[in-house]
Parts: sequence; C-alpha cells; structure tokens
Amino acid sequence: MMKFLFMMIFMIPLCFMKNMFWLVQMMLFFMMFLFMNLNLNIMCFFNMSYMFYCDIISFGLILLSIWICSLMIMASESLFKLNFYFNFFLFNVIFLLIMLYLTFSVLNLLLFYFFFEASLIPTLLLIIGWGYQPERIQAGMYLLFYTLFGSLPLLMGIVYIFNDLNTMTIYFLKFFNMNMYLLYISMIFAFLVKMPMYFVHLWLPKAHVEAPVSGSMILAGIMLKLGGYGLLRVMIFLQEVNLKLNYIWIIISLVGGLFISMKCFCQVDMKSLIAYSSVAHMSMVIGGIMVMNYWGFIGSYILMISHGLCSSGMFCLANINYERLHSRSLYINSGMMNFMPSMSLWWFLLLSSNMAAPPSLNLLGEISLINSLVSWSNISMILLMMISFFSAGYSLYLYSYIQHGKYFQGLYSFYVGSSREYLLLFLHWFPLNMMILKVDFISIWF
Amino acid sequence: MFFFILTNNNSNKMFFLFILFFSTLISISSNSWFGCWIGLEINLLSFIPLISNSKNLLSVETSLKYFLTQSLASINFLFMILIKFSLLKNFDMNNIISIMMNSSLLMKMGSAPFHFWFPNIVEGLSWMNNFMLMTWQKISPMILLSYYFNKNFLIFMIIMNLIIGSLGGLNQTSLRKLLAFSSINNLGWMIFSIMISENLWLFYFLIYSMMIFMMISLFFLMNMYFMNQLFINNMNFFIKLNLLINFLSLGGLPPFMGFMPKWIIINFLLINKFYFLTFIFMMTSLIIIYYYIRIIYSSFMFNYFKMKWVNLLMKNNMSLINLSSFISISSMILSTFIFM
Repeated sequence: MMKFLFMMIFMIPLCFMKNMFWLVQMMLFFMMFLFMNLNLNIMCFFNMSYMFYCDIISFGLILLSIWICSLMIMASESLFKLNFYFNFFLFNVIFLLIMLYLTFSVLNLLLFYFFFEASLIPTLLLIIGWGYQPERIQAGMYLLFYTLFGSLPLLMGIVYIFNDLNTMTIYFLKFFNMNMYLLYISMIFAFLVKMPMYFVHLWLPKAHVEAPVSGSMILAGIMLKLGGYGLLRVMIFLQEVNLKLNYIWIIISLVGGLFISMKCFCQVDMKSLIAYSSVAHMSMVIGGIMVMNYWGFIGSYILMISHGLCSSGMFCLANINYERLHSRSLYINSGMMNFMPSMSLWWFLLLSSNMAAPPSLNLLGEISLINSLVSWSNISMILLMMISFFSAGYSLYLYSYIQHGKYFQGLYSFYVGSSREYLLLFLHWFPLNMMILKVDFISIWF
Repeated sequence: MFFFILTNNNSNKMFFLFILFFSTLISISSNSWFGCWIGLEINLLSFIPLISNSKNLLSVETSLKYFLTQSLASINFLFMILIKFSLLKNFDMNNIISIMMNSSLLMKMGSAPFHFWFPNIVEGLSWMNNFMLMTWQKISPMILLSYYFNKNFLIFMIIMNLIIGSLGGLNQTSLRKLLAFSSINNLGWMIFSIMISENLWLFYFLIYSMMIFMMISLFFLMNMYFMNQLFINNMNFFIKLNLLINFLSLGGLPPFMGFMPKWIIINFLLINKFYFLTFIFMMTSLIIIYYYIRIIYSSFMFNYFKMKWVNLLMKNNMSLINLSSFISISSMILSTFIFM
C-alpha cells in the first residue's frame, strides 16, 4: 500500500518537468493496473500495515479515484495546448489523488477526517483557478462552507470518541456501542452534506457547473462517494440510534430525489442537468445505506461506482460539446447528430447507463436498492418508481434535445471528434457495462 | 525584527527593543505581584519609543492612545493587587476584585470586551510594529492571567472574543484591521489554552506567531496595507501560493500547519466537557475562514486583469519568502507523522 503512495509522491517532481503531460497520465494508468493486482480478500481488511489497510469498499473506491484522475488528465488536453498553468494543474491532480487515496486507506478515523478535509483544497483550487466564469467564486465559497459546516461537528465527534474509547482505529470501532443522539447527528451530518442530501444539496449544482471538466469529473466521480464511504464506516458503532432515526434521512432523500428529478426537466444548462441527476442518484444511495440491510449496502456501493463512471463520462461529453460550440445551453447544442454522429453513439450509451438500462452496472445498483428500500417499507415503492421513471425521462430528454432536431444556425466549423475523446468515453463506458459480467468482485462482502 | 530595524537606519530603537524583551522576562519570572506590575510598566515605557514617529499626526495619535489605554489598565492592575493582597489578604477567586484583576490584564492584551483600542491602534502602526503588538505584547499578560484566573469569567470572555473577532472583521477592508480582528479571535483560543496548561498555550502561541510572522513579512515586503492592493500588482506565482497557504493555515484548515493547534485545543475542550463552547469555537472559525478567503481571492484566480505597469519591487531579498513557503508546505507532512 505504501508503494502506491510513494509512486504518487514521486510523480510530483515529474509534473514540473517539461513536456511531461502525457507521461503523468500514462503513469497513472500504470498505477491503476498495478493496484488492480492486489490480493482482494472479501471478508476482512487486507494489506494492513502501520497506517494503511484495504477493504473491499476502499479497494473499489481507490480504483475508481485513480481511474477518474487519469481520465481527468486525458480530458484536459486544452489546458496543455493553451499553456494554462498545466504544471500546477498536474500537481493539483496528483495531490488530490494522494489525498483521496489516503482518505480511503488509512486506519485511523482522525486521519480519515484530515485527508477528507484536505481533499477539499485542491478541488477548490481547480474550481476557482481553472474555471471560466465569474460565478465560480460563489461556487467555491458554497462548496467550501457547506462542507466545512458539516465536517467541523464531525471533528468534534471523532475527538469525543477518542476520549471515550481511547482508540480511533476503524477496525476496532465495531466492538463498541456509542448510542447517543447528538453524537449521531454530528457524525453523519458531514457525510450527508457531502453526498448530498436534498436540503443541503445547494453547493452541488453550483460547484459542478462552474468547475472545469476535470473538476466536474472528480466532483461527480469521487468526492460525492467520500460521503457514502464515511457513512459506511461511521454507522457501525451507532447502530441503535441508526435504527431509531434513519427514517428521517431516508424520507428526506427519497422525496428530495423526486423533486430534484422533476427539476431536471426545467434545466437549460447541460451541466446543470447532469449535476441535478447526480443529486437524484445519490438520494437513492443515501436511502440504501440508511436502511441498513445487506442489499442496501450492496446496492448503494454498486450505484456509487457506476454513478461515478457514468456522471464523469457525461461531464466529458458536455465538455466535448462546450469546446466546439462554447455554450452549454440546450438551445444552442441541438441537432448534433448532423455533425458528430459517432459522438451521438457515446451520448446514447452513457445516457442509457444513466437511466439504468441493461446491461449497465447502474441497473444492478438500482434493482438492489429498490429491493432493499421496498423491503423496508412498501410505500417507498411509489417514490422509487417515480425517481426511476423520471431519471429515464430526463436522460432521454437530454439525449433528444442535444442530438435530434434542427441545428443552431450560428455554428461555424469544428472537427468531429478526436480519438483522444473517443478513448476517454470508451474508458468510461467499458468498465461500466462490462463489470456486470463479474459482479461478485463488488457485491459479495461476506 | 532586528534585521528590519538595522536596514531602516534605526539602530537607536535596538535599545528599546532589548528593554522590551527584558521587561517581559521581569514580569513573568517575578515572585511578587509588584514585580509583575513593574514588568508591565517597563513594557509600556519601552514600547512607546518603538512606535512613536513624529513624522505624521496619525502615528503620534496612535502612540498616545496606546499609552493612555495601557497605563489605565496598569494602574487598575496595581490598585487591585494592593487591595487584594495587602488589604484584604485573601485568595478567594470568586469576588469582584479578582474579576477586576483579570479584566485589567485582558485590557492590556486587547481582548474583548476591552478591545476597542486594538483595531484603532493597528491602523496607525507599521507592519513590524504590528507584529510586535500582536505577538510579543501578549506574552506577559497571558502568563500573569494564568497565575490567578476566575474560570467562569474567563469562559465568558472567551466567547466574547470569538464572536467579536469573527463578526468584527466582516466589514473591514484594511489588512491591518483584518489581522487585528483575527488576533482577537485567536486570543479566545489562547485564553482557553492557558486555562488548561501553560505548555499548551506555548505550543499554540508559537505556531500562531510563526504564521503571523510569515504573513506580516509578506505584506511588509510587498508594502500592502489594503485589500484592493492585492489585485493591482503582478505577484509572482510563488508569492501567491505562499499567501494562499498562509491564510488557509491560519484559518485552521487541514492539511496545513495551522490545523494542529486547533485540533489539540478541541481535544482538551472535549476532555473537559465544554461541548457548547466547542461548537462556538467551530462556527466562529468558519466566519474567520470566510474573510480570509476574501483576502486570497487574488491568489485563487489565476486569470484576472493584472495591471502591467505596476512592478513589484521587493525591498529585501526573496530568501525569507522561499523559506516561509517551504515551512508552510513541509509542515503538513510533519504534522501527519509526528503526532500519529
């Protein structure tokens, strides 16, 4: 485990050398393939050393974060061409990857908090530094303050646990029972803000829209999953309070997911639509984790991984359109099938995965979540039915508005689609639709 | 401080600087309350020539205001000492006399609710004098406070410090006043730490004064006193990064150095079961981070309209900036591996 940390640390001097942009990306792919060859044991923590461990959840999420970070660099070729501080951009990406890797793999709960907060700083730098609109300042403020408002009580909770239990090792926490209401709220509020749950979701549309493509990819791909991972770790020692109070969060997130799905139909901005669809998917994930049965955990984990790949791919597609037309509006991006028919294939593949069509991994996640939520209460059938229906609805709406119809007459000229862009989208779609063939890597936990 | 006094052809101020350091030592190492008072008076006497500068009216007025407030507080302190230990001769901490003693020491430090002189005076001082005022002048009142404090009174003062320090800085544009309000907020953290142990206070104070030194030396070298000056000049990339890291570190965000003292104080707060007070500490530090980020907008945004005709001439060499950048970044690594 430490070998990957050292590989990432020593990639930092590589970022500052001349003409090393693509080498850094190749190194990240290399590290991804090395990481996949770790021994994967399902019932326990494996690869333990002084500070690090790997569990099946952290294994999958670290793989996802390395994959998305390498695809981030592939998607940001325009920064390299226009010479827009790409050295510092590479350093930012590698630093963010180090922080995410450490978040998912340290044994100590306080170190988890430390790296959880530390991953905010490079994200903030990505949004405000490389974004292209004046609203990005407000977006960065919203991101920072919503997350910090939630996570400072988390710090209080962690220090309280340390003073009470004299340990902060995540592995030992399952032997304790700290059933206190205030501790429960302070521990999970940070993750609910990060996920995001419906009432505290306002940072997400702003931050996703104002970020550059790499920022949007990492936000949709991994940063939301930090919340899910934290919830999975922290709920172990709070089980009785969870059983009493979790219905609040399930109801808020499911009804909120319904409202957000309906709001997706009113969006004019492509990225804003994809951001709201992220909130709707994450609302189902929150519902699945909070129900606390096995299908719920499995479904939310699968949906986290598949949503990471799918949303990140959709943001890449939105950026591909933006780089050519310099607009994200649905009024201008219409009739694209006339000009880029191959790209419309990728729009369709990724949007069909978004609406949980077979054979994508989203389908398996949604089916497991529907199973777990309906087993918890029959009435959630109605909400889940509406959320799934509307997600199909807005995915088709987005596809049809962008691809079909008459094109905008003010277009000048652009090239169809470089192989780099096709490779980028293929690398998003391929794991998403092929992992369904061997799901026991991610869905059998014991 | 020596270096800057020497380069400004002001070696006569060296004499007063040495007496300033000596007076603090007198004050904290005396075995009688009289000795403490004497140290405080010599402190005042030697600080006035350092800040008085008869070239403009503002600095004359500033040194006069400083003299008036500090001598008022010293006289109050002497009077309360005499009443308590010579006249009444009891060591009861729960009466008005001990509250008055603590209040006079708080007024010497510039803590709320006696803070009104502090932003006024920092507006009239130069950056290096501000550095002395914000760091060294706090040592002796703090340590004297630790010898005899009333816990309930001080907790109330801590809450007032935190709230005034965070809310007062929201409407300021002058960098000196912003750092003054942030100093008032950090006084809240420091007063709590000195109630726990002097060692803990020393730890917080050293890290705080190192961070303040890095920021003040950066502003001093760039000759910046107001927030609108941050956007006008053409800052080097490393200077921007240094500014960014220092302010985020002062706000207490991980992964920088400034997170460590705050985390340790939260640990002691929760050991002593001050739950609501911890919540106030957290939320006021969010407000502080808000106005720090307003200051560092210019270093976040990589592309904005820069005035090309303003050339940034550094007064001294750049080695100080490079060293402080290195310390700010590398302390992150140290802070994860020393205490875990």
